[in-house]
Amino acid sequence: MRTQPSVEVGTEWGIVSARQAGRELAKEVGFNNVDQARIATAISELARNIYLYTENGVIELEVVEKDALKGMKIIARDDGPGIENIRDVMEDGYSSSGGLGAGLPGVKRLLDEFDIESELGNGTVISTIKWLR
Amino acid sequence: MRIPILKLGKYLLISIQVELDDQTAIQFQEDLLNRIHQEGSQGIVIDLTSVDMIDSYIAKVIGDVVKMSNLMGAKVVLTGIQPAVAITLVEMGVSLNEVHTALDLEQGLETLQQELEG
Amino acid sequence: MHSSVIDYIHQRKTHYITKWKEDLTQLVFQQEGLSDDLTEDITNEMIDLVFDGLFSEEHEQEERLRRFADRLSHYGLPLSDYIRGLQSMRQTVKSDLDAQYSEGQVAAFEAWLDELISKLVDAGAKTQERVIDLQNVALKEMSAPLIPVFDRISVMPLIGTIDTKRAQQIMENLLEGIIEFRTQVVLIDITGVPVVDTMVAQHIIKVSKAVGLVGSKCIIVGIRPEIAQTIVNLGIDLSKFSTTSNLKEGVETALAITQREITPLSTS
Ligand SMILES: Nc1ncnc2c1ncn2[C@@H]1O[C@H](COP(=O)(O)OP(=O)(O)OP(=O)(O)O)[C@@H](O)[C@H]1O
Ligand SMILES: [Mg+2]
Repeated sequence: MRTQPSVEVGTEWGIVSARQAGRELAKEVGFNNVDQARIATAISELARNIYLYTENGVIELEVVEKDALKGMKIIARDDGPGIENIRDVMEDGYSSSGGLGAGLPGVKRLLDEFDIESELGNGTVISTIKWLR
Repeated sequence: MRIPILKLGKYLLISIQVELDDQTAIQFQEDLLNRIHQEGSQGIVIDLTSVDMIDSYIAKVIGDVVKMSNLMGAKVVLTGIQPAVAITLVEMGVSLNEVHTALDLEQGLETLQQELEG
Repeated sequence: MHSSVIDYIHQRKTHYITKWKEDLTQLVFQQEGLSDDLTEDITNEMIDLVFDGLFSEEHEQEERLRRFADRLSHYGLPLSDYIRGLQSMRQTVKSDLDAQYSEGQVAAFEAWLDELISKLVDAGAKTQERVIDLQNVALKEMSAPLIPVFDRISVMPLIGTIDTKRAQQIMENLLEGIIEFRTQVVLIDITGVPVVDTMVAQHIIKVSKAVGLVGSKCIIVGIRPEIAQTIVNLGIDLSKFSTTSNLKEGVETALAITQREITPLSTS
């Protein structure tokens, strides 16, 4: 397992660097054009949430292998306020900021595995995987 | 970073060639609305051929800029949205509803012509 | 089975083969399009299978049975004919044995043959399963092609069941094709899609939205009566999407969208 250096998301530029790093790695792993776009978009959503709703956080990228499968793991980790009602934020259209509210449910649809852990006052960890078809 | 806005006859033409970060997107929104006001433009083509990713935020900025332009009496056609971008947008559940699209610049201008001149 | 019985059958091998071939000719040889050499060859393989089977190891025999079943399936020969052939051979051998051996010995021979037949049936069924699996995979992987029919108008015929994986593949093909052929209107023909449930409808809706985003239009054609019924009964709203019942109307609509029509040549 290879861990890429994580990308700090403190500023708007962090969002761009995170998704660019994600696309690079996705290309390296061998994802096609469409999957690269899915991965870059998902990272952009996760990073923007960190930028919007927390002081700072990181996006961690990792190549993973399971049995004959190869994939890419994307973890968004922050020590922000946490998410109170996870079920609500996973609904399409739910937004506390006037956004489209497509972010988190969208990320779940773009990738293959999606896991969210959040504790009020203690931050949020969203862990996702996209498998190479 | 600023996105150049070109004038082509009665139309405004924007080809987005840079990585769209949030700042650039908002700046573009402002610049475009000002130009529409200055020129009294009725038709706008925004070409997205070089854009390789549109997330929900950028989609919202683009959707908003279309609505705002419409309010100012200008029709907007988005052209050159890449297959990969279209697929991610649809999967995300982001629909750029009621927005005119065309395959490329040429067909975008044709669409405008039809829309504006019947 | 007693070794003296085995020896006895083996001694009379030539006799049985001649008799058996006559039977087989009546039973099997009606298959059209196969050369006499080939049928002869397959018959010989079957005969070897039986007589060698008297001596060979069990796993070795299974492997040969499997290959034989594969071969029959490859040439489209019905296994049942050959099994009837085996039954006819049972009669011949049994009446011989009855005259010389005890009831128990004859029963042992019959049990042995029953076992062989049931193994052959098993091998045949496994072959059949494998063929069906392969066909399923092939059908799934068969990427739907985008076919340009007129300038700026293309058709994509969908055939077979549509699951999420295949829907994604179809979507990618379709969009790439639209760009390649500069397609302004694409007709998605779902005549060949057996069932349209909520899932399939959802996929179709997604596809037409994506088609719209890249700057093309999509018309769904081939909505059969029963599909129209299921769509409405399931409460699926396709009213925002252009649909027609057959390809011909679809083409006419597509031509109208691209501001053209088909008119007969004037005969002046
Ligand atoms: N890392 C986080 N920490 C705290 N709250 C979060 C975090 N990520 C998301 N949220 C909360 O979850 C809500 C839903 O997020 P989501 O990304 O789905 O939509 P959005 O950001 O509001 O809009 P969009 O992403 O469509 O622009 C947010 O409005 C916010 O309240
Ligand atoms: Mg968000």
